[in-house]
Amino acid sequence: MGRNILTTSLGKLVGWGRGNSIWPAQFGLACCAIEMIATATAGVDIARFGSEAFRASPRQSDLMIVSGRVSQKMAPILRTIYDQMPEPKWVISMGACASTGGIFNNYALLQGVDKIVPVDVYIPGCPPRPEDLLNALMILQERIKAQGILPPQ
Amino acid sequence: MDTIAQGVTVTKTGETGAFGGELLTINFGPHHPSTHGVLRLIVDLDGEQVRRLKPVIGYLHTGIEKQMEALRWQQGVTVTDRHDYLSPPINNLAYALAVEKLMGVDVPPRANALRVIMSELTRLSSHLVWMGTSGLELGAMSMLMYCFRERDTILDMNEEISGFRMHTSYIRPGGVMADATPRFLEMLDKFCHEMPGHVDEYEALLTNNPIWRSRTIGIGILSPEDAKVLGATGPMLRGSGVAWDLRRSMPYSGYENYDFEIATSDMRDCYGRYLVRIKEMRESVKILRQALDKLPDGPVNVDDRKMLPPPREELETSMEAVIHHFKLFTEGYSVPPGDVYVAVESGRGENGCYIASDGTHKPRRVKFRSASFVNLQVLERMALNHMLADMVAIIGTADTVLGDCDR
Amino acid sequence: MISETLIVEKGVSAGDPWVTVESRNVREALSGLKNDGYTLLVFLTCVDHLVDSSRQWPARYEVLYQLRNLETREQIRLRAFIDGEPPRIESVHDLFGPANWEERETYDMFGIVFNNHPELTRILMPDDWVGYPLRRDYPVGGEPVEFSEEHEMWQTAPEKA
Repeated sequence: MGRNILTTSLGKLVGWGRGNSIWPAQFGLACCAIEMIATATAGVDIARFGSEAFRASPRQSDLMIVSGRVSQKMAPILRTIYDQMPEPKWVISMGACASTGGIFNNYALLQGVDKIVPVDVYIPGCPPRPEDLLNALMILQERIKAQGILPPQ
Repeated sequence: MDTIAQGVTVTKTGETGAFGGELLTINFGPHHPSTHGVLRLIVDLDGEQVRRLKPVIGYLHTGIEKQMEALRWQQGVTVTDRHDYLSPPINNLAYALAVEKLMGVDVPPRANALRVIMSELTRLSSHLVWMGTSGLELGAMSMLMYCFRERDTILDMNEEISGFRMHTSYIRPGGVMADATPRFLEMLDKFCHEMPGHVDEYEALLTNNPIWRSRTIGIGILSPEDAKVLGATGPMLRGSGVAWDLRRSMPYSGYENYDFEIATSDMRDCYGRYLVRIKEMRESVKILRQALDKLPDGPVNVDDRKMLPPPREELETSMEAVIHHFKLFTEGYSVPPGDVYVAVESGRGENGCYIASDGTHKPRRVKFRSASFVNLQVLERMALNHMLADMVAIIGTADTVLGDCDR
Repeated sequence: MISETLIVEKGVSAGDPWVTVESRNVREALSGLKNDGYTLLVFLTCVDHLVDSSRQWPARYEVLYQLRNLETREQIRLRAFIDGEPPRIESVHDLFGPANWEERETYDMFGIVFNNHPELTRILMPDDWVGYPLRRDYPVGGEPVEFSEEHEMWQTAPEKA
């Protein structure tokens, strides 16, 4: 199936639906998890973007926010949880530690979560502000809405 | 023997439980919404009652102690922020006090007062996060919204005084990062004025809430004897009626000059620990008010050019200042050989820092004595013969921070 | 109080009193101190003195026990020096409750074997991890930082004494 009026119109509709109802997995690791919780509270209110439903089960979620440092011991578990999430799924790497290892360049930490799962949006900061997480979510929404139903070229 | 996961073997003897069924071993975590982070528990259940419990930790092991051996003394402060991520300035304080004690340095009174202010603000924000998330776990969703509102006020104050919301690195060996701005003092004044009313709000939501009471009263009882023998610390110890608070028992940073009470409770259960934290929040506001009212004037750093960089103006006129500046940022300072242990009271209990120095510009060994690590060992004693659902309340009120536990 | 015959050396470091005992006498010394009111084991850890020229060390590993008397608020630090591969010392988990996990952590990080410990397994690192991270001859690890002056040091362990 190529790009035609049917697939693009349907793609717009699906993208609109997917983009405005991203359910993140409730996956808190370290310091950034506290800021992730703060994003869900009344001050910044992630519910404005349709993502307030933090799901406790990976089976019900389509976004994984890797919020904090990933240790060597946690890495296989993180990968398992990612594998358990149904397609389509996205990953936000929240904070310096998840993105690159941050200030901890040592034996214990995975130097960037992109070594084990594909990351869509990286957020700098240690930890990032809740507004930064919202910004990342908006970037992701735009990308999801643009994607449609066709596989990427 | 039965291997239920990599490296975790559980002996199943085919025992029969009190209700006639076989004991069931289940895995709880490390990614579980109610374990306060990446804690994993292997639980043996008889029906729904916990018969054996084995915490598995290390899922957030960050190598902080090794990292500090590779960093210079003044760089280490940034790393201390991140081990107990709910109380960064208190971690800074433990480290700074230890380095200062080894070097034989005393900080000026204004620095001490600012350290106390930051410690108490942090204790408040830590307790607020605890209360919000514990409330959430036991079904009081609105607590999260209320508590994080005030926590955000505190973080705004952190931002005003240090430029960063959470990991302030504000307290450093030799003093503090910078003097408090007038706006910070205004914000603090307003906060001290408003906070007691907010604590009343939390109490109105929880203290007489029948669901909260039935989920916490009589749950997770820890006798004072057990608490002492097992080394429980902080609100866990005080919730069992032992009046031990390092701020009073072994004062540091001028805590002996403040008038406050040690919050204790004789309930010995989860509710008692909740009452202790509520009381501590009120006492913290009292300390903040006193510290603000008698905030001394003067410098906020020691006058030691070998430890702290010279002021910016001096660099333009003094060659010596330029040399000190250069030496400090290329090589750092060295600390005399020896070792020292300093303990401070964090929101979770005794947060200690042991430092061994070999006389070079980097530490030989830094060990953090973390409150969560010892409190988690007590978990088994508290959770036995309780329902599985009550374990959530017990883990919640133990207030473990896994970053603190695993370091 | 621990009998004078056990004490090898004592002193005060930055205001903290300490005593050194022979490693085989650790249990005896600690139970003596416990009977004397030092009931709380604040922490237990190890320091690796590989390539440490600040003084003459009797052995490579120094095992430390920080004790506190909750009544008088006095503290004391007990040291014992051990060598060997693996270095061995008696466990004190039955004397002090918190020692159980602390000993496991010290085993995990330094490879010190505590004799008679009920469950001496790794606690922080994965079970299949090779090496003892906090030993001084274990590299800090991580990824190379380019253009960093301390690049070499991050990746390699210090040379042996």
